[in-house]
Amino acid sequence: MKLKTYCYQCVAGPDLLTVEVRDGVATAVEPNFGAASVHPGGGKVCVKAYGLVQKLYNPNRVLSPMKRTNPRKGRDEDPGFVPISWDEALDTIAAKLNDVRARGLLDESGYPRVAASFGGGGTPQSYMGTLPAFLAAWGPMDMGFGSGQGVKCYHSEHLYGEFWHRGFTVSADTPSCDYNISCGANIEASGGVVGVWRHANARERGIKRVQVEPHLSVTGACSAEWVPIKPKTDPAFLFALAHCLLHEHPRERLDLAFLAARTSAPYLVGPNGYYLRDPATKKPLLWDAGRKAALAFDAPGTEPALEGSPCAAAALEIGPDQEVLGEGELLGETAFSKLVAHLKPYSPEWAQGICDVPAATIRRIAGEYLSHARVGATVKIDGQVLPLRPVAITLGKTVTNGWGGYECCWARTVISSLVGALEVPGGILGTTVRLNKPLGERLKSVRPGTDGFMSYPLNPTDREHWSPKPNIRNAYRSMVPLAADGPWSQALGPTHFSWMFLDETPKGLPRVTLPEVWILYRTNPAISFWDTDRIERQMARFPFTVAFAYTRDETNHFADILLPDAVDLESTQLIRIGGSKFIEQFWEHEGFALRQPAVAPQGEARDFSDIATELAHRVGLLEKYNAAINRGVAGVALKTDKWDFSLETGKTHEAAEIWDAVCRAASAELTDGAESQGLEWWREHGLRTRPFSRLDWYLYPTFVELGLRFELPYQERLLRVGKELERRLHEHDMHWWDAQLTEYQALPAWKDFPGMWETSLRAMGGQPDDFPYWLLTARSMQYAWGGNVGMQLIKEVADNIAGHKGVILNARTAQRIGVAEGQLVEIATPTASVRAHAVLRQGIRPDTLLLLGQFDHWATPLAKDFDMPSMNKLVPMSLALTDATGSGADVVRVSLRRVA
Amino acid sequence: MTRWAMIADLRRCVGCQTCTAACKHANSTPPDVQWRRVLDMEVGEYPAVQRAFVPVGCMHCADPPCMHVCPSTATRQRADGIVTIDYDLCIGCAYCAVACPYQARYKTDHPSFAYGEAMPSEQQGADPRRIGVATKCTFCADRIDAGLAQGMVPGVDPDATPACVNSCIAKALHFGDADNPESNISQLLAENQHFRMHEELGTEPGFYYLWDKRR
Amino acid sequence: MSYGPKPWMQTHWDLRAAMNFILGGTGTGLLLAAVLAAPPAWRWVLAAGMALIAAGLGAVWLETGRKLRAINVLFNARTSWMTREAYVAVVVFALGLAALALGRAPLAQAAALAALGFVYCQGRILFAAKGIPAWRTKGVVALIVATALAEGGGLFVAAAAWALGEPPTLWLVVFALALIARAAAWSRYRSRLGAGAARLTLEPSGRILVYAGTATPLALLAIGLLLPALAPGADFLAGLAALAAGWRLKFVLVRRAAYNQGFSLPQLPVRGGH
Repeated sequence: MKLKTYCYQCVAGPDLLTVEVRDGVATAVEPNFGAASVHPGGGKVCVKAYGLVQKLYNPNRVLSPMKRTNPRKGRDEDPGFVPISWDEALDTIAAKLNDVRARGLLDESGYPRVAASFGGGGTPQSYMGTLPAFLAAWGPMDMGFGSGQGVKCYHSEHLYGEFWHRGFTVSADTPSCDYNISCGANIEASGGVVGVWRHANARERGIKRVQVEPHLSVTGACSAEWVPIKPKTDPAFLFALAHCLLHEHPRERLDLAFLAARTSAPYLVGPNGYYLRDPATKKPLLWDAGRKAALAFDAPGTEPALEGSPCAAAALEIGPDQEVLGEGELLGETAFSKLVAHLKPYSPEWAQGICDVPAATIRRIAGEYLSHARVGATVKIDGQVLPLRPVAITLGKTVTNGWGGYECCWARTVISSLVGALEVPGGILGTTVRLNKPLGERLKSVRPGTDGFMSYPLNPTDREHWSPKPNIRNAYRSMVPLAADGPWSQALGPTHFSWMFLDETPKGLPRVTLPEVWILYRTNPAISFWDTDRIERQMARFPFTVAFAYTRDETNHFADILLPDAVDLESTQLIRIGGSKFIEQFWEHEGFALRQPAVAPQGEARDFSDIATELAHRVGLLEKYNAAINRGVAGVALKTDKWDFSLETGKTHEAAEIWDAVCRAASAELTDGAESQGLEWWREHGLRTRPFSRLDWYLYPTFVELGLRFELPYQERLLRVGKELERRLHEHDMHWWDAQLTEYQALPAWKDFPGMWETSLRAMGGQPDDFPYWLLTARSMQYAWGGNVGMQLIKEVADNIAGHKGVILNARTAQRIGVAEGQLVEIATPTASVRAHAVLRQGIRPDTLLLLGQFDHWATPLAKDFDMPSMNKLVPMSLALTDATGSGADVVRVSLRRVA
Repeated sequence: MTRWAMIADLRRCVGCQTCTAACKHANSTPPDVQWRRVLDMEVGEYPAVQRAFVPVGCMHCADPPCMHVCPSTATRQRADGIVTIDYDLCIGCAYCAVACPYQARYKTDHPSFAYGEAMPSEQQGADPRRIGVATKCTFCADRIDAGLAQGMVPGVDPDATPACVNSCIAKALHFGDADNPESNISQLLAENQHFRMHEELGTEPGFYYLWDKRR
Repeated sequence: MSYGPKPWMQTHWDLRAAMNFILGGTGTGLLLAAVLAAPPAWRWVLAAGMALIAAGLGAVWLETGRKLRAINVLFNARTSWMTREAYVAVVVFALGLAALALGRAPLAQAAALAALGFVYCQGRILFAAKGIPAWRTKGVVALIVATALAEGGGLFVAAAAWALGEPPTLWLVVFALALIARAAAWSRYRSRLGAGAARLTLEPSGRILVYAGTATPLALLAIGLLLPALAPGADFLAGLAALAAGWRLKFVLVRRAAYNQGFSLPQLPVRGGH
């Protein structure tokens, strides 16, 4: 018997699969071949899904609720977990939660008494059933204790990308792209089945992908060219590309029409750096070449001038806090002219010295990009003619987080706009929205804002609304305007602050407190965060921790209660699939897929929805919980004006009952209310979709329809926001964020980004010459996100790929320092060190070391015997290395020596 | 005649090991036995270095050295080119394993399981006949035969196609009848430049590597 | 397991398989030496030779995965040198046991001839293993046969020196010829062995074979001839040196230099960009 289900162990899911069940035993996973016609990756299933059978039967699973018997917490303390009944476990938790409710949800500092941490990228949501309804019913909860979110993600891309083009994640339009400059984007490891499938098709079609990265990743391996760039110098490389386009090629090769009509390039910038505005309407002005006059940006029939000598206009210049900085006849220069001048110094020769990439290579790549851009070409999609610009620049994690992330994202998006390759076929696309509503519906999230741009829910920086009293401990609302204030925002703030500020809260913020109850699911910050030794010490202080536990691990080692939830092949949930989400996950279909039990839960494991219902019941939140499900928190609204499958709110419902209602609502949604098949139908069919127009991949038609412009290249709004934030902070005598405030530049300049890590090294007591190597990490496709480090199968197959058994270093470097293949080496910062076996490769810069994935386990069964370290132990949580968006990067300077 | 053959398109392969894992599922192989696996190779020196991922396994040679050396006739060749092992004849001398230039053969002397004791899924797949004898990729012959019996086309219909090919997320692996000029395999070979591993040994593998279009 | 792509050591045949080549070869050499031995010593030599061959076969039998099916080894005489080795072993033992039982020297001589066939099969077993470049190299058969003669001769001479004090000169001359033949076979094999890990690994054993296993025994034999008083000791040492050098070389050949070919790409994939 083959059952249809899905795997969503990583953000590049879901993969639609069948699981073979023989005599009541799940034995093998296969692609759901029936899904090939709707799935953009041929309906195939990623390697991680093949670990699901072992995940189910792993004898190391926690299979009954457990409680801690040793009150002392620490890495060296045996927690003394003993099995208890579900009743005892839930009663204990409910008693704590009811106590919190009785005393108030917020503590004396104003922070939620209850905190929760979930694994990244939204993967837990595809497994946690109706827990979101419990969270919604609960009220304020601190979800800002990071386990990787915010610091190990594409952080600047998430924030700036969504700001500029609803690109929480940004992808090349791979099916139509001909030239892809990939700065560290490891799409073959991170793009999931669809990414791999599409890029393989593109390669066969002839796409030229240039991989710019310090080591030859699997993506570099699959690229036409590898450019080994020095770590953290990508902004210089990208600035030089932009320089070439603007200073070394005829202007008419750029997409001038796009720049004039769809960007802020023609807006006039006043002497103080803010737009010149129409005195009456306060709309930004541009220079109409036809009428030779400054007109409002949206005046009909203008011929916006992109360049020219500064022109005078009757205008207002409005600065931070609505201050009028200039009034009357003001001299303005187009944003485009300012951009051209700004990039003048950033020549390939300048960049060569920084990036260690020959100027000729940079110049050639810029020329190839421009040649492939095909400015002027069009393509018809679903009957609509759109520009075709088959060139893309994609960015990797360590390129888009920490210092330099803003500069890279800005340069990438500006370069794209110079040739009109933004949100059009072949160019770069935002593929997810997470900070704007409605979540997951990009086009609908586009609403006109001020100045001709999209609206964006920036956190307030004006005197009236800004507050130094954050809602949660990581203070995202006070410190990071771009993080917005939606359900995902807590995880997109400076999530290390929650951990750091427990030791010492910086001036101006309420003292950061320990959460009284901490709930964990599908996350292991003791392994996956920065500075893991310090994280462990903090976790040991948490008074009451509840962990949904698959096996024992390094984080639930500090827990008080362990709860066994039913895993992938044991549980039920309906999720949305298709449409456009995550990096390469833009489909030509959308709909739903069901996860269903292939076998009964092992031991006493329980379906997550049943656990959530029981918790809601015991905490007295059942009405609100059921109401949240009815509202659609479980994925589909159960009641609309066309259908009503809502649950009775006053009683508890079994998981199957809840998901039957959700299935019926999903059927109704897909058929506009005509059909209402329930759980049984979905169990048989597994998924159901309807077409999703390819046109909906692109924002461009929506921009044309709404008459909007991309807020590029000039960042007047961010400049203003930064100045306002600076004033607010200084008004409260908060100066510890001053370095971060320098990021708010209208046209970002190169800063010595690698030097920041050298400065940090000195602060740790080291000298750069003594710690000459850059230690980086890269994604292991076999493990990333999967929570599958305890799967023997995954270990076995992953080991076929270099770097899973030790630190990758350049073979010649190894020879120079006398290290042979397999020998033990010590990698150290001035304050910490790890040991690893040497893996000698040619595909890595001589000054770079690479530790793949995140291992270093000491409690997780199987994984604790890998003898494989992680860089996370070596990377300090550091305010100095935190950028304005609140993120840091996976980079650290280290020494390397052979262990005698 | 029919000659089953496999193709690995090296331009497409990303080394993800999905085929490795799928093979382990489909064939219930014990830990560290990988009838299909993908090598991670580097050629050249920094910075002029290329990295390639190369699926390997039994090449189902037309002139298989393993078969010639086998003292028990356990290793044989079917008319359709598939090289087989009769687990009931094999004495487990491993001569075939050292004769194979592709390191495709395994011998497991004792039952072994992912976590020591057999999990239910491993109990289902355990085959005591495979202990102490040579094992290797079968091109999923059972699946091919069952599919053919139902009128399906191996390499086209998933239920008649080797598990590794079915699983490949890069569409790098292909399977079909090399003797049929109309087959997917024959067309790919006609359109692209290809080689076989260690061709100089004269084993005539039934496994081809594509590396570029024919120009 | 994550082997390759660079060549790595075969792991399928361990010391037990190596013992078959080591003891089988020496045993064969002894059987041939028995032809030279005068009655009644030839019986002891023949018996010792057969015991060595049997021990070697026993060792390799221990390595097989399905010991109770050992008879299946006889199923592929058409192409498998392992099957042929087994058949020839049967002939060796049939003739040898008959010779012992009946006390007929001609039967022992026939057994010695069969043993020559046995060791030839062993050489062909290695030569047919296409997966191991050091084995499939031309000249390996001659090397295996020649070292069998030298080892058997060495053991025979050492034993004779021990038992008789001074072995007959004819025996020593034949032994010396076997030593020279082995050195020549090694030299020929070595020249055909391509550069690489196998050659690097074999080289020290080859040097030992030439210096300690050939030149030294020859010198010792000469000393024995020139200074008869020293002959027993010199001949004894010469025999053991020849034996040990041969064993070492075969052990290294089977267990240390048996790198496979690994994998290599005659063409690298074009990754787009055309």
